[in-house]
Amino acid sequence: MTRPRNRLVLGILAAAAVFAALTAPRAAQAHPLGNFTVNRFAAVELSGDRIYVHYVLDLAEIPTLQEGPRVRRPGFAREVAGRLVLTVDGRRAELEPLMRRVRSRPGAAGLKTLRFEAVYRAESAGTSLRLEDRNFGSRVGWREIVARAGRGARIEHSSVPARSASRELRSYPRDLLRSPLDVARADVRFRLGSAAGVAPGLVGAAPREHAGRFESLVAHDLTPGFVLFSLALALFWGAAHALSPGHGKAIVAGYLVGSRGTARHAVLLGGIVTATHTAGVFALGLVTLALSAFIVPEQLYPWLTLVSGLLVVGVGLAIVRTRLREVRHARAHAHGHDHHHGGHDHHDGDHEHGLRGLVGLGVSGGIIPCPTALVVLLAAISLHRVGYGLVLIVAFSIGLAASVTGIGLIAVTARRAFGRMRFDGVAVRALPAVSALVVLALGAAMTVRALPGVL
Amino acid sequence: MGALAATVLALGGALGESGRAPAAAAAAAASPAVAVDPAAATKRLVSSLQRRLRVDGQDADALTRLGFAYEQRARETGDPSYLVKAEGVLRRSLAITPNSADALIGLGSVALSRHDFRRALRLARRARAQAPYGSAALSVVGDALVELGRYGEAFRTFDLLAARKPGVAAYARVSYGRELIGHTGAAIEAMQLALAASAGRPEPTAWTSVQLGKLELARGRLDAAARRFRAALHVFPRYPYALDGLAFTEAAHGRLRSAMTLSRQAVAAAPLPQFVGTLADVYELAGDRGAMHEQYRLVGAIEGLLRASGVRTDLETAQFDVDHGLRLGDALRLARRAHRDRPTVDADDVVAWALVRTGRCDDALHFSRRALHLGTRDATKLFHRGMIERCLGHDGAAARWFRRALARNPFFSLRWARIAEEYAR
Repeated sequence: MTRPRNRLVLGILAAAAVFAALTAPRAAQAHPLGNFTVNRFAAVELSGDRIYVHYVLDLAEIPTLQEGPRVRRPGFAREVAGRLVLTVDGRRAELEPLMRRVRSRPGAAGLKTLRFEAVYRAESAGTSLRLEDRNFGSRVGWREIVARAGRGARIEHSSVPARSASRELRSYPRDLLRSPLDVARADVRFRLGSAAGVAPGLVGAAPREHAGRFESLVAHDLTPGFVLFSLALALFWGAAHALSPGHGKAIVAGYLVGSRGTARHAVLLGGIVTATHTAGVFALGLVTLALSAFIVPEQLYPWLTLVSGLLVVGVGLAIVRTRLREVRHARAHAHGHDHHHGGHDHHDGDHEHGLRGLVGLGVSGGIIPCPTALVVLLAAISLHRVGYGLVLIVAFSIGLAASVTGIGLIAVTARRAFGRMRFDGVAVRALPAVSALVVLALGAAMTVRALPGVL
Repeated sequence: MGALAATVLALGGALGESGRAPAAAAAAAASPAVAVDPAAATKRLVSSLQRRLRVDGQDADALTRLGFAYEQRARETGDPSYLVKAEGVLRRSLAITPNSADALIGLGSVALSRHDFRRALRLARRARAQAPYGSAALSVVGDALVELGRYGEAFRTFDLLAARKPGVAAYARVSYGRELIGHTGAAIEAMQLALAASAGRPEPTAWTSVQLGKLELARGRLDAAARRFRAALHVFPRYPYALDGLAFTEAAHGRLRSAMTLSRQAVAAAPLPQFVGTLADVYELAGDRGAMHEQYRLVGAIEGLLRASGVRTDLETAQFDVDHGLRLGDALRLARRAHRDRPTVDADDVVAWALVRTGRCDDALHFSRRALHLGTRDATKLFHRGMIERCLGHDGAAARWFRRALARNPFFSLRWARIAEEYAR
């Protein structure tokens, strides 16, 4: 029973490796804007009642060589803030660095290029602001500023667009009729909201609200130690994720195995959950990647959330239907208990139900890609670390499956230990129906939350 | 330095005198020389042409003019991505009207900027065949011929240009020719005419001012040179060629702090090997060997990048390496390759210098003779000849060459002038 599962996991891993090789950015590629450019991007982010500035530097090969050590220094974020002049209602506003990240990538001729990102918070009040970027003023390069608002904050007038033409210095337009952007100043009239502001994250395509610990793994510098650590962490989070409230599937699966199955069934269930979950995330990731040629991930994500929300609703409905049929079946069975061939029928059907139901449950438990896992994948794609993201998701899925299997095994063992004790109190019997409703509610909530992003 | 001059100017001439930027010239002339943004006129021209082309993408004339305007932006910003765009729109224009002389000239000057001189010559000759009495093609033809070492033909072309269309492009080229044959005074006169003719256009004004500064420097007049460089910075703030020139004069005066600041600004604006070389020399004079070696590494990286991007010939990097005693074996190979693609007197001199530095003084003498055959009185070339004669054991001749170099320009090099003084005694 374990061999096919191993083969499946190996197959997925091999596919992931090929996939990663195909999508990894080509090394030894010269910087698209010429190898001595320093490219600058600033986003004024008005979120709820707060003003944030998200700043990105993309240094080509030569500036990386010249300025790399300075840019890598922890104090550099503050240096940048000193030349990033933000005035709110005519008064200079201090920019306080919240987070920073520096990453280097292979460039042409064995040299490296460097990407620096930082998020700043400004004291927040007022109705008009001006942002002036004086960093690397004498350097040649792309200079872009955007201004965007969310969580109740509004932009009334802005001298700069809300959307980045370079995807935040990730891809520069090659349109012959467009000059390289050279915007070093933005004037914005705005109204802040009353909701609490949320700082923009540094995970690129990932939705800002979701940026959590698991997601941040993918953005970290990759040392062997860190990779091992992150794999262990992903396993642990997968396991914890299965146990977290709202995931009725673990309990349902545990119940099924506990009441009728064996230890083997428990392991099988775990395998199915891992495989389905991994495949589900991969499939969604592939779709995202295919579509990302036409749409940027930032635009795609709300749709994806909507689709997965609807998917969860669908699965929830299917489970509810199954449960209803089961209840009806159980009632009918109770009425005709005395009939001999009815009893026989019951036994046969039960066996069928055991295996098919087990697979079905495993699949339905795994098919809903956990938003966290999807975010990891999307973040990995946006950071050009697809292979690493996939490996993390496999680990996450295995952790998830381990939890499900563990519950199943405990139930099986418990049943053996307590012999006559049966898991069929009213509460336990109601549990499958309740968890189906929970899945349904979860899907509905996901769908509703995705709607504002799409409309 | 001279080699670069003609290349850069070709572009200025092609756009500047085609009468195609009247709005730009008028706008700049109306305002005093301290323009807020010296590139404002070009920027406006670019965006109005872009707007027109968004309406009608098949407007070949607008495409060609946008190509020239992008080339001008490349000169103003030092941003090479404008050259890529220029080439793109000029190609599109040529596809719509094959054999358009203007589009061919534009592509020719892009080729000059890329140091593909043979291609530039081919394109400009095609343009001449289409418009035999035009003048713009002559600039590109002449510049390509100079860089290919065909001086006789080149000078005849420049004379024809000056006869047909006297203006910045013609005067500056005449000046360059006079400098090559050793008539610096006359070269300065011609360049002053070019400066007067470029009035109202910040970038050409800055460019001609820098050329005048270099000519003053060539005859050892530091203060006159510095004045010219400052004038260039006045019309075009942060113009890297002027920053580099001024850094040199400051360093020659021993004002190392100010030289360092200026040189760093020049390198930041455009990390060209010659600017990095100045910075390295300033650091060396200041005794900061760590910073000096950093600049050496930087030039090494630039060489690697040029090789990776398919530019095989770079005289400037070869010259830097030889001057600083870096990777000498490679530098000789690099210099010979550059000489093959660009057989100028400057290339002759770099090969000669590389040969001396690797101890092959007989061969070096042959190249040095060629480097000086036009009558050039460039102190650097005279000094190199002195080093060759010294290496061959001709001490008397060597001392004479060193004295000639120093008489010409006692500040010819931050690194080597002291050595010339020592050997001249």
